[in-house]
Amino acid sequence: MIGQLLVVARIAGRACALSALDVKSVIEIGTVTPIPRAPAWIAGITALRSQALTVIDCRRAIGFGIGLPGSEWPTDHRAIVVAEGGHSYALLVDVIEDITTGASDAGQVPGGFGPEWSRIATGMIETMAGPALLVDLAALLAGPDTAHREIEVLV
Amino acid sequence: MDDLLADFIAETREMLEASGGELVAWEADPTDRARLDTIFRFVHTVKGNCGFFDFPRLASLSHAAEDALADCRAGRRDPDQQLVTAVLAIIDRIAAMIDAIEANEPIDEGDDESLIAMLDVSHETPQTGGLEGACEGSNPPLHAPAAALLGSNDEPNAPQRRADPAAAQRTIRLPVELLDRVMSGVSDMVLARNDLAHRLRQAGNQPTIDGPFERLTTILTDVRDAITRMRMQRIETLFGALPRLVRDLSTELGKQVMIDLDGGDVELDREMIETIRDPLTHIIRNAIDHGIEGPSARLAASKREIGLLAIAARQSGNTISILISDDGRGLAEERIAAKAVATGLITAAERAAMSRERILNLIFEPGFSTAETVSNVSGRGVGLDVVRQNLEKVGGSIRVTSTPGKGTAFTLHIPLTLSIIAGLTVEVAGHRFAIPQSYVEEIVQASSQALDFTRMGETALVTFRGNRVPCLMLGEVLGLPACPVAAKEPTLVMLRLASGDLFALAVEGIHGHGDLVVKPLAPAVMKSGLYAGSTLLDDGQPVLLLDVANIAAGADLVSDTRTRVLGTLGDSAAEVAKQADRAMLFTDFAGRRSAVRLELVQRIETAPITAIDRSAARPRVVIDGLILPLVGLPDTPLTQNRVRLLRLSDGACELLFAVREVEDAVELTEDLHAVPEDPLAEAITLIAGQPVTLVDAHELFARHGEPPLAADRPRCTLPESEWARTILAPLVTAAGYDIVPASEAGTETLGILFDDVYEVAEALGRPLPQQVIRLRDQPDAPTGCETIYRYDRESLLAALAAASRAALQAKGVAA
Repeated sequence: MIGQLLVVARIAGRACALSALDVKSVIEIGTVTPIPRAPAWIAGITALRSQALTVIDCRRAIGFGIGLPGSEWPTDHRAIVVAEGGHSYALLVDVIEDITTGASDAGQVPGGFGPEWSRIATGMIETMAGPALLVDLAALLAGPDTAHREIEVLV
Repeated sequence: MDDLLADFIAETREMLEASGGELVAWEADPTDRARLDTIFRFVHTVKGNCGFFDFPRLASLSHAAEDALADCRAGRRDPDQQLVTAVLAIIDRIAAMIDAIEANEPIDEGDDESLIAMLDVSHETPQTGGLEGACEGSNPPLHAPAAALLGSNDEPNAPQRRADPAAAQRTIRLPVELLDRVMSGVSDMVLARNDLAHRLRQAGNQPTIDGPFERLTTILTDVRDAITRMRMQRIETLFGALPRLVRDLSTELGKQVMIDLDGGDVELDREMIETIRDPLTHIIRNAIDHGIEGPSARLAASKREIGLLAIAARQSGNTISILISDDGRGLAEERIAAKAVATGLITAAERAAMSRERILNLIFEPGFSTAETVSNVSGRGVGLDVVRQNLEKVGGSIRVTSTPGKGTAFTLHIPLTLSIIAGLTVEVAGHRFAIPQSYVEEIVQASSQALDFTRMGETALVTFRGNRVPCLMLGEVLGLPACPVAAKEPTLVMLRLASGDLFALAVEGIHGHGDLVVKPLAPAVMKSGLYAGSTLLDDGQPVLLLDVANIAAGADLVSDTRTRVLGTLGDSAAEVAKQADRAMLFTDFAGRRSAVRLELVQRIETAPITAIDRSAARPRVVIDGLILPLVGLPDTPLTQNRVRLLRLSDGACELLFAVREVEDAVELTEDLHAVPEDPLAEAITLIAGQPVTLVDAHELFARHGEPPLAADRPRCTLPESEWARTILAPLVTAAGYDIVPASEAGTETLGILFDDVYEVAEALGRPLPQQVIRLRDQPDAPTGCETIYRYDRESLLAALAAASRAALQAKGVAA
């Protein structure tokens, strides 16, 4: 991770980092067509040229904002476009802050990050712009329900 | 080195696929040197390559096969069935080794020596039971060349009508990913072009830009076609493996089967080819196992001892049909029926009422398999029901027909591509969704009263053509807020599922229809089970494609068996036989139930009240940017916001008939009674016991139809002035003239000139139009002057009419 490019964004008020290799582009988010009956963390689909992107509300995808007023954090008018498993997603975050390089490997902190964050974070990473949580994209895109299911299985 | 190895594996695999078919073809006709050469080249290439890579076992195997084939080529040895079997076994071993090399696994220990030894078994000393898979006890001499058996075949040297491999097109290998990238690039270009077109339209006509833009559009369309074809593959790639399959199966089952392939040049989507590979294999297995009899049974039935399995592919429009027919014993109707009754698929009473075709198609029902003994080849639990399911998943279908003792034919219909479908865009609560056109049976617009809309518990029912049909509210299915106005007058999309079940989907409006490029959705969205994909509309707006089958299954609308569809099939056949006149039944604004002949009705339109203009003596309505005459309106002002209109056409001109309510299309089965006292009524008849007035179309169009604009209107030039352009021009146009600039005027063109201009021109001897109308500025005319005051409307119209008559007469004389 040392020396690797990272995109730093704020999600639910916390600094998060995505590997720049996963990020295809950053776009101005246009009209989002909602998807009825889809999970709440999927904001809808939007068109990027001839491609349809699934728009993910990262705060809800982590597990926040359910039962809370959504206006607690502002939303950036730009979105991060990532590809995972052959599908493209646009990630809605509080604000896209910076592109920087990593200064350490992802590591754990004593006491963990809290259940929601631990599910989607690979670990804490030091960057040139300060510490951030390195996001595990696949876990983020699996949505908040998966964690609950796993816990049920464990119990 | 790795790259070289990957190339070697890919090349070998491709040649393997090709040579399997070649080998069988060569066995059928040993005199065919071209095929022998192809196979020889294959083993030779493998031998050379594996020497290079140090695969000693591959080298020794291919070397042995090459030796044996070289003997055949040199005429030292005749190819017989044992030799072919041995060479095939070696090729199989090579294929297995290639798989192992690719997967980086150790090559299994195999007995290469015995394979090589088989090659040396001379055909003069056949060893019974020496070969696994060969017919036991009998080593039949090579049968007569298939060409001789085919007899009437017009290509005696090619029992399989395949394209000559030597004429194969030059090809290069590309990763599919790259193709997809190019495809999405072209899609982006099309969208960018649409955007540009939109902006150009806004900017108005610009000849210097429009020309090149048109050219760009044409090129883009061509490129798009070509790109789409890049994803296409000849079905030949699928057919290539079949001769080998048929040969192996028939050897295993002790039958003799010849395969005839046709239409290998039909192209379809690569992914679709993969989808039909298993169903096709399954049907072929069935045909050889159950359909085609053993040689002795065939001879006893006075058929040729070699069975014929014919596979033909055809393209028609957006569908590919593949026909797989055999000349075997045919399907046993009685056994199928007995089995179906025994397993509870149908009752004995239903069986008695079913036609042969309906019984035969029961073999596609889940859990149906007639084979009394489950053999090694077919009947391993996966039946034809799975075949049908897999085909229906991609929007295809399958049917079977069979003649006892003569043979069986399966017909597969599959769409050309997975990714482009015809679709209907519907609207509900401000959202748009697409529905695949293939499901849509009919679109019905009517008030809930006419549809007899009822709620039974939580289920809604509508009456459609006399049947109660379950109705789903799309808004409710998707959890969207309902719009009370639209709920009163819903638009119903009647959907016919692949299982034959019909249901209605209530939406708020139809937005449009067209070809949709469907893209897959993210798995988290797919989990909702409501959507099958997404697509972009022309304006770039993303729209979700509804998964109709899943929505219906979620609402428990899919019946377990197809008895219902089979029943309706029979009904429709009976209907065709009757052929009664049909009419559209409606209630007009006077409350009278009337009907108009269905041939006249082009469409049912819904127009907002604002589109209707009643200021003139005759009302008009704007539909699709055209101003059309409107009849049937009440004298009182309209109370509702929208009016339902029947768009009638006599072929040349159109008019709209306003109705209070459209009911349904009905058949005119009862007698027609003439009504001489009402000129607008053709007759009165009974429909379902109620009197209904049939509208007299002749009278209607005679009274209200507007004559179509003459294709060849007389032409006229106007003076160069603001007055002429803004005040005179509309009058001249209304009189039936086309206004042309002076530069385009011909001899027959009428000229309108101010008198002073005329006099000057006459004095100077300038050319003047032969037909001319001279205008003066003063109301009072000087005597002896052929001029018209410019605001003397009547004289002007009379002069214009006279000139146009004269022009027509002149044309008549000329003609």
